[in-house]
Amino acid sequence: MRTTRRDFLKISGATAVASAIARLHTTPAFAQAGPVKIGVLAAKAGVTAPVGESGLRGTQWAVDRINAAGGILGRKIELVVEEESNPKDTVERFRKLVLQAKVDVVTGVISTGVGLAIGPAAEEEKRLLLMWDGTTQKGVEETIPKPRYAFRSVDNEAEAVMASILTARHFKGKIKTVAGINNDYSYGRDNWAAFLAIMKKHGMNVTSVAELWPKLGETNFTSHVATLQQAKPDLIFCSFWSGDAPILLKQAHAAGLTAGTKLVMTTAGGVHEQLKKAFAPEGMILGYNSLYFEDPKASALSKEFTRWHQEKFKEWPNYESDHGYFTVVAYKAAVEKAAKAGGGKWPTVEQVAEALEGIEVESLSGKRGYRADHIMEATYFQGLSTHKNKHDFVTLDSVEAMSTKQIQKPSGMGLYDWINSWNV
Amino acid sequence: MIQVLNLLLGGVFHAAALFLVAAGLQLVFGVQKILNLACGSFYALGAYAGITAVKAALAAGVPAPLFVVVLLAAGVALGVLGPPIERLLRTIYDRDEAFQLLLTFALVLMLEDVMRFVWGAAPYQLGGVYLLYGQVRFGAVSIPVYNFVVIAAGLAIAVGMGVLLTRSRFGAIVRATAENRGMAQALGVNMTRVSSRVFTLGLVLGTVGGALVIPAGAAVNEMGIELIVEAFAVVVIGGLGSMRGAVVGSLIVGVLKAVAIAVYPEAEMLAVYVIVIAVLLLRPAGLFARATA
Amino acid sequence: MIGRVVLAGVLVTAAAVPWLGRDYYATLMLPFFAYSVALLGLNLMFGTAGLLSFGHALFLAVGGYTAAYLGNTLRVRSLEVMLATAMVVAVLVALPVGWLCVRYVRIYFGMLTLAFGMLFYSFLYKFYALTGGDEGIPVARPTLLGHGFVELDKTGYLVGPYYYYSLAVCVLAAIAMWRIVGSPLGLSLRAIRENADKAAYVGVRVRRYRFYAFVIAAVFGAAGGVLLVVPTGLAAPTLAYWTHSGNLVFMLLLGGFGHFFGPVLGAFVFIFLQDQVMSVTEYWRFVFGVVLAAIVIFLPQGLMSLLTRTVDA
Repeated sequence: MRTTRRDFLKISGATAVASAIARLHTTPAFAQAGPVKIGVLAAKAGVTAPVGESGLRGTQWAVDRINAAGGILGRKIELVVEEESNPKDTVERFRKLVLQAKVDVVTGVISTGVGLAIGPAAEEEKRLLLMWDGTTQKGVEETIPKPRYAFRSVDNEAEAVMASILTARHFKGKIKTVAGINNDYSYGRDNWAAFLAIMKKHGMNVTSVAELWPKLGETNFTSHVATLQQAKPDLIFCSFWSGDAPILLKQAHAAGLTAGTKLVMTTAGGVHEQLKKAFAPEGMILGYNSLYFEDPKASALSKEFTRWHQEKFKEWPNYESDHGYFTVVAYKAAVEKAAKAGGGKWPTVEQVAEALEGIEVESLSGKRGYRADHIMEATYFQGLSTHKNKHDFVTLDSVEAMSTKQIQKPSGMGLYDWINSWNV
Repeated sequence: MIQVLNLLLGGVFHAAALFLVAAGLQLVFGVQKILNLACGSFYALGAYAGITAVKAALAAGVPAPLFVVVLLAAGVALGVLGPPIERLLRTIYDRDEAFQLLLTFALVLMLEDVMRFVWGAAPYQLGGVYLLYGQVRFGAVSIPVYNFVVIAAGLAIAVGMGVLLTRSRFGAIVRATAENRGMAQALGVNMTRVSSRVFTLGLVLGTVGGALVIPAGAAVNEMGIELIVEAFAVVVIGGLGSMRGAVVGSLIVGVLKAVAIAVYPEAEMLAVYVIVIAVLLLRPAGLFARATA
Repeated sequence: MIGRVVLAGVLVTAAAVPWLGRDYYATLMLPFFAYSVALLGLNLMFGTAGLLSFGHALFLAVGGYTAAYLGNTLRVRSLEVMLATAMVVAVLVALPVGWLCVRYVRIYFGMLTLAFGMLFYSFLYKFYALTGGDEGIPVARPTLLGHGFVELDKTGYLVGPYYYYSLAVCVLAAIAMWRIVGSPLGLSLRAIRENADKAAYVGVRVRRYRFYAFVIAAVFGAAGGVLLVVPTGLAAPTLAYWTHSGNLVFMLLLGGFGHFFGPVLGAFVFIFLQDQVMSVTEYWRFVFGVVLAAIVIFLPQGLMSLLTRTVDA
């Protein structure tokens, strides 16, 4: 059959129109709406700076992977980073993110005080807030009893609860006296109090012979070590999480304190590379919060992240990267879930908030999610330290993993009531 | 008994570290009447640079026990910063003291970010180098020899400063300038040179101090800002401008803080201030104050 | 005459800001009003009496915590009551602190005030049963002249009625300070600043008048502190840290401490400069250090001197 020019034009015209229609149907409908903006409040200076940096790395990795895979429902993610400093300035940066940059969600926040200011601010601005850290007893009970937009991290005593359970398991019958050296603020106090309560619950029959409260930022512990030596405790409990942890160990070791005394360091795993074998002993209970970089049972995702982190930064990652990663991935999952439930439309803030409740995603530490009361569920890793590794710092001999379902108080229950209710 | 000595030694160790921060402050104020808020930052700078220097030296094959020498060298080498910073401060010499104070505050802000930029925000330390010189054992108590090194260094610097100020020609000029600047100038003292040297010496006291103490601890972000508070307590107690005051003030703060930790740990955070106020109520100008208003 | 026109223009512009549609920048004006009130007091101490305090943030914290305690613990929500109580508490705190500090001058005064500021900081941290420790005390949304404005959300409240209330307090504070500066006390303070010995010779009770200046500055500081914590919603110990005091002095110098409105200009430039620079670089402290150094060396009379110079020329 001869194709006339008119036919040809008709056919090619029809083909062109048909393919154009087809393209319209496959293009993600939201891409035209522009990028999804995620605001991050990350600490840059002071004692929380390394933690903020770590959280930002996990966030960045999550965002890069999601964008490489097409973004959230076709929309790429754009990060807007502001600095977390003191409560007043951070609330102002939060307002800038929300009112000026008009971000869709805010993540970050490590410091307790800042969290207690930002949480209510998020509720007032009706903006999603997924906090990395900083949840205290008071925060959970008082400031926002029924949050709608603010999602908090794991209770800050979870590390102490797990460490205390492990203490009871490993050292029952072996210790009579304990001493505490904790930072003089809510985190230190809450952890020490939780430890004592759990020791009592487990019938450990220990007496406290020294309770020391160096301020956060203290860098010289010679007097503290001398006092501890005088008190001669069988076990020392310490919730240091920053540069003071290696300094204390160094000075304690130099004074001979680490040789005969059992040690529990609930959160020093966050600065694990600083805990050099030269002064960090074996056999101390060491907590890594939600990320232990050499967990033999780590998922492929986790191993990939660890490898990437080591190659890029020449450092092994710590837990805050997991918090950073999780908040981004959880947000994405919630948006997708809410969009599906809403018939394919981009969900509202309230719909995403609802979708976040009870959500579970795969994070760098395994399955992780949010409870209905907006508190995180995660897995924590602790164990006994060892020198048998190829690093110059200590690692764990065997890794104990516990879910927050075991170490975090359930919704609506006070910490001490919950501890008392345990079957031991 | 051993325990009490151990406690006291801990206090003296802390006092030595404090003295090393405060000595530079006292020297510079005594002569130039500049209250250098950046003295804590110089100390921090010495700490960071000292660690880098030792790591480089060890990697280059320098025998480990010589690390103290490397630290000293690093602290002294930072003295090159002295003349340019002093030159900056000199531009406002004749102005109200408040301006000098503010300029040093500006220095604090700048130095903090420079240190963060160069060394990052994570804690920075020398690992087990602290333990290289071994320990001295008294029964159940071990005290690292390095603690004695620090205390000895503090003592040596205090004595050295004393000798320098009272026995040397430079010291005589410095004291003359401190007492009566105009007269000293009239008598032919080169103010520019003296100012530059004194400031540099003050800076080096801080950087050397930071470098020497750091093996026992770790360099952390904003440590300079934290140190100012205790340094000021030392200086207020001892009397502004007095080197003897720096020694006594450091000892008082160091030992009393150690006692507080041992006897009433809850008061640790407040101990320093209680001491300051007590001294002020008893001796308003500090213990060894000069006649300057 | 030009001065009055400029002042009127500034006030009109300030009143118009909430209507310009940029809510974030409107909320930034709130710490500006708060700091202006506090700096009027600091300016009295330094600009007029020659006493440089490196611990003025203590009184901001006093004001902030008083407001927080009243609103959160005692459930008193009236901003008027908060302001009045804060000012009374400030006087009570300033009496012993001031008495001790004004025995010293110049550098000693600066150091002592720094020490007292840090003492208060430690107190706020330690006595956590009373002060909340590092967690601070939440600041409830106060009622303005009895009205709760509950129909407005927080941003609407801050950018609306609270904005104008703060502006009014700022204006009232300025009027009050203008009176003080022009009063015999103010003149005596200026005389003391020029030459304390001569002033004493002429019969001015130097130490007593410095003490009055200290207490008045404390009152203004506390009022500023109350206004400062409401937008944050929390009173935290960082309010009293010595670098916060350092920032106050920075603002004072930036604007020009010799001039009455200098500190107000300083607060404005500081806040907006900090906002812009913080979003550009994480090393904003370095930038600020350079700015402060430049002001101290090249423009010691502050930015105000630039403006008055251009007007005269």
